[in-house]
This record gives sequence, C-alpha cells and structure tokens, in this order.
Amino acid sequence: MLTDRQSASGNDCMIEVRKLNHHITLSDQPLPILNDIDLKIAYGESAAIVGRSGSGKTTLLGLMAGLDTAVSGEIWLDGHSLLTISEDERAALRASRVGFVFQSFQLLSALTALENVMLPLELSGVDSARQRAEDLLKRVGLEQRLQHTPRQLSGGEQQRVAIARAFAVEPKILFADEPTGNLDSQTGNNVAELLMQLNREQGTTLVMVTHDEALADRCDRQFIIDAGHLHERPQGMDA
Amino acid sequence: MNAILVFRDLRQRTVKVMLVSLLIAVSSVATISLFSEHLQQTLLSSANAFLAADRQLNSRSSAPIPIEWIGQAQSQGLKTSLVAEFSTMVASDSGFHLVAVKAVDDHYPLRGELDWQSDLDSPRQSIMHGPARGEVWLNPRLMRMLEVSLGDEVEIGVAAFKVSGLLVREPDARMNLSALAPRLMMHLDDMPSTEVIQPGSRIRHQALFAGAESALVDLEQWLEPQIAGEFRWVDVRQTESLGEALDRAEAFLMLGGSLAVLLAAVAIAVSSREYARSQRDVVALYKTFGMTGRKIQQHYLFRLGLWGVCSAILGLLLAIPAALLLASMAARLMEQRLQFQWSLWPVWPAVLTAAVVLFAFAWPAISRLRDIPAMRVFRSLEQSKPAASLVETSLALLAVFALIWLYTADGLLVLALFSGLSLLLATLATGSALLLKLLGKLSFTWQSWKMAVIRLKRHRSASLVQLTVFAMTLMLASTLILTRTALLSDWQAQLPEDAPNHFLLNIPADSVESVEAFLTEHDIEQNPLYPIVRGRLIAINGTSANEWIVNPEQVSELNRELSLTASSALPDDNSVLAGQWFTPHERWGVSVEQSIAETLGLQIGDELQFTIGAEVISEPVTSIRSVQWDSMRPNFFFMFPEYGALTNQPATWLTSFYLADEDKLILNDFVRQFPTIALLEIDHIIERIQNIISQVSQAVEAILVMILLAALAVMFSVVSATLAERQREGALIRTLGGTQRLMNRSIMLEFAMIGFFAGLAGVMAAELAVWGLQYRLFEGQFQFHWPLILTVPVVSAVLIAAFGRWQLKPVLQVSPMLLLRRLE
Repeated sequence: MLTDRQSASGNDCMIEVRKLNHHITLSDQPLPILNDIDLKIAYGESAAIVGRSGSGKTTLLGLMAGLDTAVSGEIWLDGHSLLTISEDERAALRASRVGFVFQSFQLLSALTALENVMLPLELSGVDSARQRAEDLLKRVGLEQRLQHTPRQLSGGEQQRVAIARAFAVEPKILFADEPTGNLDSQTGNNVAELLMQLNREQGTTLVMVTHDEALADRCDRQFIIDAGHLHERPQGMDA
Repeated sequence: MNAILVFRDLRQRTVKVMLVSLLIAVSSVATISLFSEHLQQTLLSSANAFLAADRQLNSRSSAPIPIEWIGQAQSQGLKTSLVAEFSTMVASDSGFHLVAVKAVDDHYPLRGELDWQSDLDSPRQSIMHGPARGEVWLNPRLMRMLEVSLGDEVEIGVAAFKVSGLLVREPDARMNLSALAPRLMMHLDDMPSTEVIQPGSRIRHQALFAGAESALVDLEQWLEPQIAGEFRWVDVRQTESLGEALDRAEAFLMLGGSLAVLLAAVAIAVSSREYARSQRDVVALYKTFGMTGRKIQQHYLFRLGLWGVCSAILGLLLAIPAALLLASMAARLMEQRLQFQWSLWPVWPAVLTAAVVLFAFAWPAISRLRDIPAMRVFRSLEQSKPAASLVETSLALLAVFALIWLYTADGLLVLALFSGLSLLLATLATGSALLLKLLGKLSFTWQSWKMAVIRLKRHRSASLVQLTVFAMTLMLASTLILTRTALLSDWQAQLPEDAPNHFLLNIPADSVESVEAFLTEHDIEQNPLYPIVRGRLIAINGTSANEWIVNPEQVSELNRELSLTASSALPDDNSVLAGQWFTPHERWGVSVEQSIAETLGLQIGDELQFTIGAEVISEPVTSIRSVQWDSMRPNFFFMFPEYGALTNQPATWLTSFYLADEDKLILNDFVRQFPTIALLEIDHIIERIQNIISQVSQAVEAILVMILLAALAVMFSVVSATLAERQREGALIRTLGGTQRLMNRSIMLEFAMIGFFAGLAGVMAAELAVWGLQYRLFEGQFQFHWPLILTVPVVSAVLIAAFGRWQLKPVLQVSPMLLLRRLE
C-alpha cells in the first residue's frame, strides 16, 4: 500500500533519481536518451529542467511522474520506488499525489472549463467536485468562463483551466511540461505567476520542464539537461 | 461518477456517430422483426380467408365429421364451423337447374368475408355470416337462369326456401367439379328437411377451425392417427397457388432482417473504431490522473453496456411507431383494417443484435485502450492505430453470422451472404491495391485529380476501410433490390393481369366451331383448345400400375380417370426437362409432368399403358415437362402428340379465356346458347390470389425501402466517422494556399472514386450472393442484371461525392485560421 509518507530511501526527498538510464530503440538500434541521471528534489521545492529540444527533458519528466519506466536506475517518488512497483500501483500513486500541466493543455474539447477541472476530482470520487472546481476557476480568474469549451477560450485561458485542473486534487507534486511554451510572453508570464502562486499556497513540490529562462529563474533550483546528461545550475548563474 | 462522464461523452462527435449507428441498428432490426411478424400474421390470416378458416378438415368420402372431434377442438379453445357441399337440382316457377349447394352453420366463415348483395342493383356488402334458416342466397347468374327475384321461393328436394339475397363471392371458393354448377347457399340446419341427402348420396363434409396456432397444431396431432385416408387436413400453405408465394415472402423478410443485422455490424464496427481512436488522448490523460488499465477497461465497459441498454430501449421505442406506421401504410395499401398484433418475441433479435454487435466489434478496439501509454500526453502526434487482430475480426464476423443463423435458421442464406462478402473482401483487397498502383503510375495534369489520387494513396488504409464499408453496404442493398425484382417479376409472370379466368369444359367436338365463333363475336381472346380424352394409366413397362406404385395414396391422381390431351405445341408455362418435345407431325410418344414422373419413377423410354374406354394404348415416355401449377392455366399430367395415340379417341374440348368483370353478362348468353358446356368461373380465385400477391409485394417493397434507408444512414455515418482527419487536412491545405475550388473538386473526385469502385465491387458481390439465393432459396433462373451493374457504381459515386462535399462544407467556407483553431 502506498500510504506511508516516510521515504523508503531513508531521506525526506519528494523525488530522488539514482543512476537513471533510458534509451529508445529505433530501427533495432538503441538511441540513448538519458545517461546516469542523479537528482534529488525536496518536499515543497520548485525545480526547473532546461535544455535544448530533444535533450530528454520531457522523457525525464515522464519517468519521474511514473508515466513510463526506465531501462535502468531508480526513481523514488514520495518514498516509493517507481521502478519496482506495478503500473497499477504507479497509477494509484499518481492519483493520490501527482498533478500535471502540459504544453498543449490537454483539455477535453467536448467538456466545459468547469467539467475539465471537475474530471480528476470526479475520478477520485470527491463529493464536492463542482464547488471545488468553481473555486479554483475563480482563483485562476475564469469565473466568467465556467461553461465555455476549450475552443471558446484563448491559449492563456486554456492553460489556466489546465492549472486549475492540476491543483484541483491538491497534489503533493506538480509536473509541468513547458507550461508557457504555447503562449506569448505576456500571457506566459501571467500563467507562470499563477502557477508559482498556487504552488506556494498549496506547498506543492514543482518540477517543470521549460525553455523559458525567466520562468526557470523563478524556481528554487535549475537543472540543465544536455545530450542526456543532467547538471544542476548554481543559483544566480546565467545559462 | 461514471454515469456523469458517460453523459458528457455524448457531446463528442465520435460518440454521437457510434450511438446513432447503434440506434439505427437496433431500430431497423426491431422494426423489421416487428413488421415482418405483423405482416406474416396479416398475410397468413388474409391467406387463411382462402379456407374461410385457419385449417380445414375435409371428408374424402361422404362421411360426416365425428362430433367428438369438434368437441375436442372447442375444448382446446378453437372456433369451429361445419359446412356441407353437394349437388342437386333447384326448382323455381320457370324451371329447374343443377346447383352446387353449400350448407353452412351460424359460425361460417371463421376467416374472410362473403360478398353479398341484397338485390341485383344494390351495392356489394361484406358480411360474415351465411343465410338464416329457411332462406337461401343465389349466385346472380343462377337468379337470372331461374328467373326469380328477391322474396320468391325456390324448392330444393321437398323443402321450399325464400330467396333473401345474392351471393357474389364466398371466401373459400375452390376450383373443383362441383363449382361447375352455380352456387346456392343455405343453412346447414335446413339440409335434412330437403331430404335430398340419402344414404349413398355424394356429399362433402367439412369442418373449419380457427384460433391459436399452438392449439391448431395440437389438434392436428390429435387428429392425425384418426383421420387415416378418410379425411384431409388442409393448411393454406399446402395450396399450390399461395403456399409458395408466402414461403418466398417469408424468405425475403428473413433476408431483409439479416441484412439489417449485417448493416448494423458494419456501422458499429466502423464507428467504434473511430471512437476508440478518439479516446487515446483521453485515456492517456486518465492515466496521468492515476486511473489503472483495469479501471479504464471497466470504465469503458460500463459505457458500452450503458449505451447498449440505452440504444436498445430507445431503438425499440423508435421501432414500435415505425413498425406501426409501416403496418398502417401496408393496411391502407392492402385495403384492410389495421389490427396490429403485438408480440414481444420479435424484439429479441434487436436486443441480441445490439449486444452481440457492440461487443463483437466495439469492445476489441476499446479494450485495447488500456494499453495506451501515459507518455502519450507528451507526444500526442504519435498516431498508432488500434489495429484489430485477425482473430478478433474473425470472431466478430463469426458472431454476426451466428446471429443471422440464429435469426433465420437458414444455413444456406448465411452461406450465400458469407460467400458474397468473402468474394467482396478478396476482390477489394486485390482490386484496390492494383488500382492505387495504376493510379500512381498515371500522370495527371489536372491539379484536382492529382490531389485526389495523392490523398487516396496517402490514406491507403483509411480509403480501403471506407471502400470496404461502402462496398459491403452497397452489396447488401443491391442483393435486396435484385431478390425483390426477381420475386416480383416471378409473381407477375405467375398471374398476369389478363390471366385466363374462365374455363369452358365438355365442349362437344361438333360445338367447337360455334363456341369459337361466339367468343370471336364478343371480342374475347381465346387460349388454345385442348381435346380431353378420359383414360386410366394401367401399366408401366408391362407391370400393372397398382403393383408398380408402392404407396397408392401418394398418387391419388391415378385412382381416378385422368384427363389426357394432345397438342403439337408445348404450353407456354411448361418446359421440357428431359427428352424431346414432339416434332410437328409426331405420331407416337407421351410427355409426362415432372412431379408425377418423379413419384412413379418414370424415365425416358418407359412404356405407359392407358385404357381409353374399351381400348388400350401403349406409348413410350418421350419427354418430361415442368408445369407451373400455380399459373391457373390448363395443365396436364400426360400429353400426347396432336396426331398421336389420341387422334381417333372420343374427345370433348377445353379452352380458357379472360373476361373482365364488367363483361360477365355475356356468360348468360353463352349458357343459354350452349347449355351442355360447363363453364368454370375462377375470376374470384384469381383476383384473390392476385390481391394476396400484391400485398406480399407491397410488404417486400416496404422492407426494401427500410433497408435502403438504413444503408444510406450507415454510409453517411461512415463518412462522418472518418471526417475529423479530412477536416484537419483540408484546413492545412487551405492554410497552405489551396483554393476552395481545388479543395472542392479534389474532395468530390476522391469520394466519387471511392463511391464508384465500392459500387462496382458491391454490385458484383451482390450478383454472386443473388446467384446463390436465387438458385436455391427462390428457385428462380439466374441472369446478370446489367442495368443495376451499370447504375449502382454511378449512383454511389454521385451520392458519396455529394455527401462528402456536404460534410466538408465547413472546411471549404470558413477562414483557414478559424478552422485550425477549431480543429486544435
């Protein structure tokens, strides 16, 4: 069961990655994506992972979130080893602890903004799903757009709905994949501000993949990934 | 929670398409089952009017029906009626005449109606009872011959009766010898008072039964050991003229129902595949929310189940008024009162269809969603298709054919459809590959063509799916059109409008010329004259007929005198199956009808011996003929050459002609001029058969229209289901500078090409299926149907192109920017 809060790895990291290797197979040839990655992120910390396109950022994010399994290494999420538990157990872990924000928003086009936010609450069987979703949408400034479908919303508004959805289940950790990648800089700033604010308010651990240096700068820690290798960038240093 | 999500799902286009397909499936199968059940009941009860009952028990000798048999029938809840028929003389002040008396009780008729007039000038009325005690009804011609009018008295034997009406038609009039004399109807209770019936008198007793089918079957089983040769149990299906028409109509309705099931399967297979595709991103998202593969499967299983139940209920709710509407239309066409017969059992095929089709076709694609990787949320461009495995497809097809088999209990039908579909799929697989290769090699200068061909090639598998579905749909629709055409033309040929409806029998040789002159004078077109020589078959190949025949009851025709005839021409509706028809001046040989040849085991060359009067003739079998007994034309078991063995035998002559109802008064002159010639009027029998056949034809047409509508709906739902991708591509092409005109033309050309080839393949496969069905099920001759082969591809090309154009209208009219935004 995944109820114990204390880390099995013996520390109090929200995420710990050890000697993580991953490759994909293309035309029967393995193509390395991640090499010997080591990473620790404490509870409540915010971390940005930056790097060029194709450097493996998103793959790392997906592996840390338990959406995929690596070839070798260890990943501990809130004290649970992701590589030794089953997909069902990983799913249970995600349901109870993890939230996501995607570059392409991933809103269901047939549902209204309100229903999109209610969806994860309903899946977890929360009774007051509607009230909570309304509150969150109000919190992200979309109280006038509750009944609008994604098509009727601008990109910034869609991402705000996605953020509200991500925070709806009060996740312990939020994974964000290029949350401002599809937005102009002004809108991107607003969305980033909202994300950081909610993160602080809920004390969530935030792991974010981004190209946006300004957004990365707002995180407690920054990691650079290059050709599958990860380095932590000392705070205050330029890329 | 699940239920809320399911209802939200309804907003998705793919879900709507799938539900509409399911709804069409359930409602069309249910409508067809309900309607055909109703129709069968209606047709059967209409056909039963032929017997004035659901079943008859007729005495072969003059033995009355034992009273305990009637008691047994009544104790089983059946309605009963007793009838007796005999010939006697009726006398009036002006003379007397031979009449065929029908004595009926108070319950006659149990089915059908009598046509009755209160006097010669009053309108006909339909009534459901016979004359009261002490009264008689006369045939209008008899009334003139006896020179009596209403209220006058006539005498039968020692009793006098008041003439109280004119009997125009009785429902169960038959073509038999007693019908040679005009009809008089009286009450059964009056029969003893006439003292006409004495021991040894020829009288035919009849019991009529009507009621629940199960009780009738029980009664038949109870009677069977007791009736032994003395009585004959009659079911309307045994009557040659109708039994076959009813059987064929039933086969057609069954075919219609099966095609509805197949169409439903096609629609659901396609739409569920598209639905599964559209759910991949959603499932990936659910996984990020923490749903497990098993939970996702349960989630979709619940949806499918709920949709199945909802569409079954809704489909039935739609089907009931639709079937009622069809039934009331049919009732209007058939000029009958609507009596919709409710029964729940026709509903099960619809519910079973929904369940089987949904789970056989939709579930495999949807269950595979469980394996969608959660990482898809980051890589939504990845377009892996939920391919169905061969095993899954085979199992699904097997399930559907099992369903059809269960539904029709007809292995041959399933086999014919299965072979047609297999040929179709094989042709499509090879044909489309070749076609795309050929199109690829041709260089097109016209930009629209170029684009259409490029798109066809690029979306090879999607095009193939559409092509297959369209071709299957068109095959099923064409199969139905072809069988319907074959059925209708067959029936029309059986009894054309001007089929002879009067027979002249016993024409003495010296009256032949004057009869011909009479007919010519009255502009009556006369059919061939046949000499009738009465004779008996006594020996076959030197063995006496009684020894030759194993079971004499099977050959009841041989126990009486046969009507032998001679002709140099083969009758129109006969065809020679073995041997040769007589050459013009042939002097020897005999041609034998197929069924009697089979019963007697006769071969070409067998020697047949007949006695004619005191003379014995011996002739070899030179040909075996098929005879269309239901054509109501003169037909004979044994025919001799014109100058053959019958030439010098004493003969009377027989002919037939068509006489319209309004010309019937001519017959009075005829009877006066030729008092010894027997006139057999079968116009009312023919009219009734024509009426029933036209009812069956209307029913067939109604089913055809329904299936065609369902086929159109399926084709449209398939185009709709695959539309999202085309819309996206269209939007991109427009963004990249494709003009509306170019888009318009290329889309229409692409759809037209798919429509044309689907039509061609579909109609060819339909020909194969029809060949199979025609050959065995409908027992007809097969021929290619060129008009349909040429029309279907063109019509399908035009229809599908127009529908594609209509569906892609938003892509063509809206600005590319708005379009891309919408499709995001």
